[in-house]
Amino acid sequence: MQNAALEYDYTVSKWFTYLAIIFGIVGMSIGVFIAFELAFPELNNLFGQYGTFSRLRPIHTNVVAFGFTLSGIFGTFYYVSQRVLKVSIAESKFVHGVGKLHFWLYLLLAAWLVVSELLGYTTSKEYAEMEWPLDLLTVVVWVLWGMAMFGLIGMRREKTLYISMWYYIATFLGVAMLYLFNNMEVPTYLVTGMGDWMKSVSMYSGTNDALVQWWYGHNAVAFVFTVPIIAIIYYYLPKESGQPVFSYKLSLLSFWGLMFVYLWAGGHHLIYSTVPDWMQTMGSIFSVILILPSWGSAINMLLTMKGEWNQLKESPLIKFMVLASTFYMLSTLEGPIQAIKSVNALAHFTDWIPGHVHDGTLGWVAFMIIASALHMAPRYYKREIYSRKLMEMQFWIQTTGIVLYFSSMWIAGITQGMMWRAVDQYGNLAYSFIDTVTVLHPYYTIRAIGGTLFVIGLFLWAYNFVKTMQSEKVLEKEPAFASPMGA
Amino acid sequence: MFHWLEKRPFFFSVGVFLVIAFAGLIEIVPDFAQASRPVAGTKPYTLLQIAGRQTYIKDSCNACHSQLIRPFKSETDRYGPYSLSGEYAYDRPFLWGSKRTGPDLHRVGEYRTTDWHENHMWEPTSVVPGSIMPAYKHMFHQNVDLETAYAEALTDKIVFNVPYDQPGMPKLGNSKEDFPAAQKMALEEAKKIAAEMKNQDVKDAVARGEIPEIVALIAYLNSLH
Amino acid sequence: MENIRELQAFGYFFFTVFLVVVLYAYILHLYRAEKKGTRNYEKYGNLALDDELHQEPVEPNEETTSASKEKKEQ
Repeated sequence: MQNAALEYDYTVSKWFTYLAIIFGIVGMSIGVFIAFELAFPELNNLFGQYGTFSRLRPIHTNVVAFGFTLSGIFGTFYYVSQRVLKVSIAESKFVHGVGKLHFWLYLLLAAWLVVSELLGYTTSKEYAEMEWPLDLLTVVVWVLWGMAMFGLIGMRREKTLYISMWYYIATFLGVAMLYLFNNMEVPTYLVTGMGDWMKSVSMYSGTNDALVQWWYGHNAVAFVFTVPIIAIIYYYLPKESGQPVFSYKLSLLSFWGLMFVYLWAGGHHLIYSTVPDWMQTMGSIFSVILILPSWGSAINMLLTMKGEWNQLKESPLIKFMVLASTFYMLSTLEGPIQAIKSVNALAHFTDWIPGHVHDGTLGWVAFMIIASALHMAPRYYKREIYSRKLMEMQFWIQTTGIVLYFSSMWIAGITQGMMWRAVDQYGNLAYSFIDTVTVLHPYYTIRAIGGTLFVIGLFLWAYNFVKTMQSEKVLEKEPAFASPMGA
Repeated sequence: MFHWLEKRPFFFSVGVFLVIAFAGLIEIVPDFAQASRPVAGTKPYTLLQIAGRQTYIKDSCNACHSQLIRPFKSETDRYGPYSLSGEYAYDRPFLWGSKRTGPDLHRVGEYRTTDWHENHMWEPTSVVPGSIMPAYKHMFHQNVDLETAYAEALTDKIVFNVPYDQPGMPKLGNSKEDFPAAQKMALEEAKKIAAEMKNQDVKDAVARGEIPEIVALIAYLNSLH
Repeated sequence: MENIRELQAFGYFFFTVFLVVVLYAYILHLYRAEKKGTRNYEKYGNLALDDELHQEPVEPNEETTSASKEKKEQ
């Protein structure tokens, strides 16, 4: 064990982190573009049929959710898992090879996804838009990740798995199950021998299809935007601050609570639809219960900083992570509120929903991925982070962006929801539909500006990261806790 | 006992899986047989309508338009009777959407006409001033892939027992060889729609035996009742 | 149809009760183990902090840290 030559190997981790930066910029720039399209519809026809809101929207969601976020998750996984298991991936040529193959096939999949969706190949099911050949490739990529994960676990020197590993394992299992069931489809070419070979028909129809889709759709959020991000914060916040988790026991209990409760909540996407009533009620109730395990993790994180709040002032990295857990608390409270039936009647189909999604994804998911990448950079390159000032700037610009984003969408959503149901003194509808659209113009504009600020922050992030690679301040050894950073 | 599990990744994973799979087993599986029964009068889509539906999906109309009328007075006043589960029996995939940037379309066939759609898809603000919908001019000169539409309908019939070719239901055929006949029927249907349109390019295309996307899309939208 | 519904209801009820019992037993176990001194779960928090490759494992895995350094896949 005391082998001096042995070191953690960050090759695969680095590759994924580069991808996270690239996909983050690409995916969110598309997001900003389509946000401007809603405010200024002339933009829709800049690129013929390839530039309309409807064609680009699935590309935005897929590139951000499965390009940016998953890359970030994989990048941290190949870093965290080695360290908490105390094993170098380079110790096994096989596992290392699996990791590299995992990366390349994932890249191929991502490229194929963008091209095929631009051409209009989509199954129309949200966050599961990929057609069947891409689904098959996704399965291969996922299995490779599992092989790397359990390969590393098999080689581990630490007998007990750290809580982050629990969350990574849950991500692997949860997504595998949900993805397989929701993407059951029959390729039409294989049945009939004619037509486009990429096309398929869903195995489920109508209400059933909706049920499976939102069981998946909601829990894709759980197992891509929540579970693995908790894995990330449970490692990076303690490590960067030098404080052990406030209560390890609480982290274990929150884990099991989250695992059990999360999947029941999917029904809240279908309130007042044609699925059975008890399921809608179940979705509502479990969404509210979900506050407990979510806040369990979030409070655990905030209390980890107990007595060390001075670090919040000193380190922008700690700022990112503490604000991320705060946003996590905000959106896990907001979600259950929207799942209450009477609130849902107002909020469903309005801009409040994208508003909710974005305070979670920008404030919680993206902030954690940004912070983790900057924490890893000095360890990747044995160099100081290029600039603290730049990080501070990025933090404030992006925070402003998020606040503009969700506040404008809250107002837009509630305004529109109220106008849809407003009646005059005779009981007739007070507004035609288009009245409820034109009124949103100022909020759509503010939202697009908020998004622009966030993307500007991403460019600062990328710049800081690249400059760190070339920084002249070389470190003799890996920093133990707080990441060293230049002015 | 608990610590035993925590040190054994395999059994630990099995435990996690059981806990997360439980919800699906209870919520999803038992309701399957019940929800998919069609209500009386629901018919499968004709070949042309399927082609239109594929166009609807290709351009992700469902990103901004729902097809689900909720049981509130404000919704039934605006869009018509609230949606029933059985009305979606032949919808693969379902197209409820999750966001109404534009209005609901579940019963759009009740109150919009072919020429309204034609004008709207060409230039939305010409019929709805202030609309933020993009113009979909490319649908006027891009043709549908009728073979793929036929493959989809045939798969529905073969694999999922969708009642094509039964009394009172749309005709389809049984195999690849029946495609020319089905194509002819679709073209007849397309001609009726083109006759109500004014765009000369579309009319010419249909006369040549082609089916522009806009024609199929309108056929689909008109079928939504 | 009725059968599967009944099965579903019973399954739901009993499995939920079972999981609740397990959860409380787990909480009891966590605190009791710490009080009795058999196992302090809080020390696992150090897994994230003392994570250099050359550091002693918090709790060594005998299979990989014993004299024979055979690596096992899976």
